Amino acid sequence: MTPDGQKSDLLQGTLDVLILKVVALGPIHGYAIAQRLQQMSGAVLQVQQGSLYPALHRLEKRRWLKAEWAASDTGREARFYSLTKLGRRQLEAQRANWDRLSAAISGVLSTAE
Amino acid sequence: MWCSKRARPRVRDELQFHRDQLIEHYVAAGTDRTEAERRAFLDFGNVVGIEEAVRDVRGRRLADLTQDVRYALRTLRRNPGFAAVAVLSLVLAMGANTAVFSVVNAVLLRPLPVHEPDRLVQITRVSPDGRPANVSYPLFEHFRDNVQSISSAFAHTTASESIAIDGEDDFVTVDLVSGDYFAVLGLNPAAGRLLGPADDALSASLSAAVISDGYWQRRFGRSPLAIGRTFAIRNRVFTIVGVTPSSFRSARVGSNPDITLPLLLMMNEGQRREATSNFLKLVARLKPGASVEQANAEAEVLWGAFVTPLAAQVPESRRAELLAWQARAFPAADGINPFRDDLAQPLLVLMGIVALILMLACLNLSGLLLARAAARAREISIRLAIGAGRGRLIRQFLTETLVLVVIGGAAGLATAGWLSARLVTMFVNGRNLELSVAPDWRVFAFTAVAAVVACCLAGLVPAMGAVRLNVNPALKTMGTHGRCRLGKALVVVQLAISMVLVVGATLFVGTLAKLYAVDRGFDSDGLLVVSVRSTRPYSADRALGVHGALLARLRTLPGVRAASAAQVVPISGNDWTRSVQVHGDAVVSRESTTAFNAIAPDYFATLGTPVLAGREFNERDTSGTPLVAIVNDAFAQYFFGHRSVLGRRVTSLDVTYEIVGVVSNSKYEDLREAARRTLYIAGMQREAEPPSRYTYLVRAGAGDPRHLVLSVEHAVRDADADLRMRTAMTYATLIDRSIPAERILGMLGGLFGLVALVVAGIGLFGLLAFQVARRTSEFGVRIALGATRWSMIRLVLSDVVWMFVPGVAIGVGLALMVTGFARGMLFGLAPTEPGVFVVAASVLACAAILAAWWPVRRASRVDPLVALRHE
Repeated sequence: MTPDGQKSDLLQGTLDVLILKVVALGPIHGYAIAQRLQQMSGAVLQVQQGSLYPALHRLEKRRWLKAEWAASDTGREARFYSLTKLGRRQLEAQRANWDRLSAAISGVLSTAE
Repeated sequence: MWCSKRARPRVRDELQFHRDQLIEHYVAAGTDRTEAERRAFLDFGNVVGIEEAVRDVRGRRLADLTQDVRYALRTLRRNPGFAAVAVLSLVLAMGANTAVFSVVNAVLLRPLPVHEPDRLVQITRVSPDGRPANVSYPLFEHFRDNVQSISSAFAHTTASESIAIDGEDDFVTVDLVSGDYFAVLGLNPAAGRLLGPADDALSASLSAAVISDGYWQRRFGRSPLAIGRTFAIRNRVFTIVGVTPSSFRSARVGSNPDITLPLLLMMNEGQRREATSNFLKLVARLKPGASVEQANAEAEVLWGAFVTPLAAQVPESRRAELLAWQARAFPAADGINPFRDDLAQPLLVLMGIVALILMLACLNLSGLLLARAAARAREISIRLAIGAGRGRLIRQFLTETLVLVVIGGAAGLATAGWLSARLVTMFVNGRNLELSVAPDWRVFAFTAVAAVVACCLAGLVPAMGAVRLNVNPALKTMGTHGRCRLGKALVVVQLAISMVLVVGATLFVGTLAKLYAVDRGFDSDGLLVVSVRSTRPYSADRALGVHGALLARLRTLPGVRAASAAQVVPISGNDWTRSVQVHGDAVVSRESTTAFNAIAPDYFATLGTPVLAGREFNERDTSGTPLVAIVNDAFAQYFFGHRSVLGRRVTSLDVTYEIVGVVSNSKYEDLREAARRTLYIAGMQREAEPPSRYTYLVRAGAGDPRHLVLSVEHAVRDADADLRMRTAMTYATLIDRSIPAERILGMLGGLFGLVALVVAGIGLFGLLAFQVARRTSEFGVRIALGATRWSMIRLVLSDVVWMFVPGVAIGVGLALMVTGFARGMLFGLAPTEPGVFVVAASVLACAAILAAWWPVRRASRVDPLVALRHE
């Protein structure tokens, strides 16, 4: 269960940690996050805007991210997200969690072979 | 949430930016712009949907509220008829509630603007039936000096006086107060100084007076030079020493004195000494730590010590009555409040009435919302189907109600000022009283609470009903029967409440009608009541002369048929009771109390009271001639039975009169009382009563007696240079003033009864019209299958009857439970008078028939072809 009591399936939890990871690299706006995720995953992960923005705002509400309007490289105002201290800690925790989980899953999958 | 501009969410802008970036991306990749936009749109999906999703995540408060309010306003604009009816009934209800509460606030709740008003107590005598009464000066001194739980006390009374100032005469209202008045109240002067104990002493070196802020403004233009100016009252010269603060008027609610004077200087010897000369009010400040109960206990004991020696001095027959009186102390944060006794009960009744009206208006609004919710069932089920939260929908319904209630409340607040001012005017009715009903925080708080309660009452039921509907069937068809039952239940409740209000209205209007119809024993139409004042005191001889001269002048005025004068004007609320003893062979020969009056010649001819035997006073009954008296029928019956009365002798206060006439009974103090035995003595035979002690009665030959006012005023000045007319009013006005509470209840009760009828009628009409509209196709089928128009009418009417009968039955039950409280305010009618209930039910039935008229007509004229195509 997530702090605000919403159900957190694997996918959503995954998206959160991915976003945290991307944002950890420096202040970045939503469009760039989507692009970056696509690039970093080798176009495997396509994030829908319908999931991305609610997730961003949810993370902001949990104070893992903070957001600010600032000029983008095209000169137009965009909303830039950056990681908070809390977010950074969360990223560490989630990554550890993910490593453990994926190790466990691949362990299960390989023994079943 | 709304911190700095840079941190504001601006969800739409953010999404817009993303889409534009996407378009740029496609354009950069070589797609042409239109195609890029199309692809971006496809990629992106529904922007509004995402926006909503983000808002869901963020939580919504303010944004939603504004959205809901905007939505509510839009729907209201689209249904102006609905909005008008809803708002109008709310404006009426909220306005009436706020208005009545403003008066309740002014009369019962608002404390005096003085230091720690909740430490003030009033100590008074209490009559055997529990009514507070005045105290005498010796009794005031007795309490002031002996009650241990009070730190200080003052005595207070009001008067109006002619003063001579700057060589002209002015007529002013005066508060007469004992020395500690301003100290007890803890007031500071606006200028100069206030009165102190040293001023309220017969030995005071200077007769001091303070003026009110209003008089300072009016007479002196707030000049500091006003301090030190002098004026004369009854040949005594007073010096103005200070001005009272502008926030303060008087310790007596409704009194607005120009001048405040030391009491001792203005009392005569008798008033100072006489232990039974009760004309003062006593207010005291409790010592720190002392309670009202302590003061009350002390007052009771001290009263015993005061009254016992007094009782020993009075005749045996009066002793028991005197000893039945008691003394009491009670909280007086609002000071001396004559309104409280007169108005508290009628005001609470009115408050109950307007609360019921508000409930009616809410039910009406509920009904209208319910009907509309039924009409919107498809819209609502669609919204539920696509995932709108039920809570969100309920909130939207409540917002809609809230918008209506806020509009109604604001308009109500705006009209309330006017309404409450009218209410006060009705009560004051030209008397020298002032009551400020300016809204304060209590009024605003009351309105706000009333609005919120109204909103919840009106909005919650339809909102719950609307969103509880089952999505699937509602999408297929229109409406369900459950909601209709709810609607009918609402109308039944409305009818029940209306019944209570109409019963109340009938009782109060009936009371008023009966009071006006009661036989007064004289003809009050065409009578002008004139009071006069003199700018300086008269000597005994001159007083009698001026009195006679004025009467002579009044009688010769053109348009005047007759004129006379009396010391006590009937039905003015004044009372003059004396103990008398008749001589010789009588049924009752012991001393007995009777109403008293001193009258001028031709009094009964002027009033139109029949003289049953003997004669009335004439010009020959003057100082030198034998003292004569006239008695009324009740007096004659009481003392002499059927024996002859003329020529008998009667003694009062050691003066003996010969009875020369018997007149028929007439009302003495008020309209409600039974005939009182009354003894009239000849005014011209009394020693030296100045004309200002009399009230003059002038009967006009024809037409409105008010046309005579100007010539009467001249006649008064011509009769004597020092004589002025004080007031002139028709007898009808005087009678109106004697029944202010009954008039307010009768007129407002009647008005509110009418409002109840209209509001309930609208409710019934709305429900029937809606039902008929909804069942049009059903009616069409029935008619197509051979049903007659009459059976259609019966169909709708049976619905009406099924709502009307239980509604009225419940209403009768409720009314029987509450009308008993109004018993004391009724006259000639019992609270359970069957006739009243029959009348009320008939009136309500008429309203129901009127309301049903159009829907029934509509039902009977359904064209089967049109109706069947309707689906």
